[in-house]
Amino acid sequence: MILGRVVGQVWATRKHRRLERQKLLIVRPLCWYGPDHPTDHLVAVDPVGAEVGQDVVVCMGLPARQALGDTRHPVEASVAAIVDRVSLSRAASASPFFRFPEDRRPEGLEEVP
Amino acid sequence: MTRGRVIGEVWATRRHPRMAGRKWLLVAEVRATDQGEAFTGRVVVAADALDAGPGDPVVVAFGSGARNALEARSRDVLADAAIVQILDGTSSPGGRFS
Repeated sequence: MILGRVVGQVWATRKHRRLERQKLLIVRPLCWYGPDHPTDHLVAVDPVGAEVGQDVVVCMGLPARQALGDTRHPVEASVAAIVDRVSLSRAASASPFFRFPEDRRPEGLEEVP
Repeated sequence: MTRGRVIGEVWATRRHPRMAGRKWLLVAEVRATDQGEAFTGRVVVAADALDAGPGDPVVVAFGSGARNALEARSRDVLADAAIVQILDGTSSPGGRFS
């Protein structure tokens, strides 16, 4: 799964019939594991009810379709959860060093020793 | 699968029902360099079935391998990445992974 922030929503009148009644969000990844297709934004189906500005966990691939109840959905990303907080272990992420970039810090990020 | 280090945890109470039931850990991928271990910059949220903790070196499986790791018999718990090993050590002929 990836961590991302909801930055918008898309609407469409003409769409695949299996996408009817599905809410589509624009999610900006806060971290990414690639390597297949790193992207600045991704569009994810939202069965959870996230809103713009919230941080979410996005599931990719087959489980994203299974979460929607039908593996035949033309979907490869769906929102798995709305994030309450993220803890980053200072000891574990130092030497080697890991930090979220300033513009991609999760809401409710807390650094623990 | 890839090798990484647990660097944190993601807390979420409002989850999709089929995503619930597992701890989610932040795992940063690592690679070996001549100066030792280094992060590659790739970070994944991985479901944890082994009770790993911050700092643990782990192996993460993706795709259906991840789902197999979570539920041996049923596929009720969904995830696209899961921790499948907590490493005791690594070795390679060149010693670069020590």
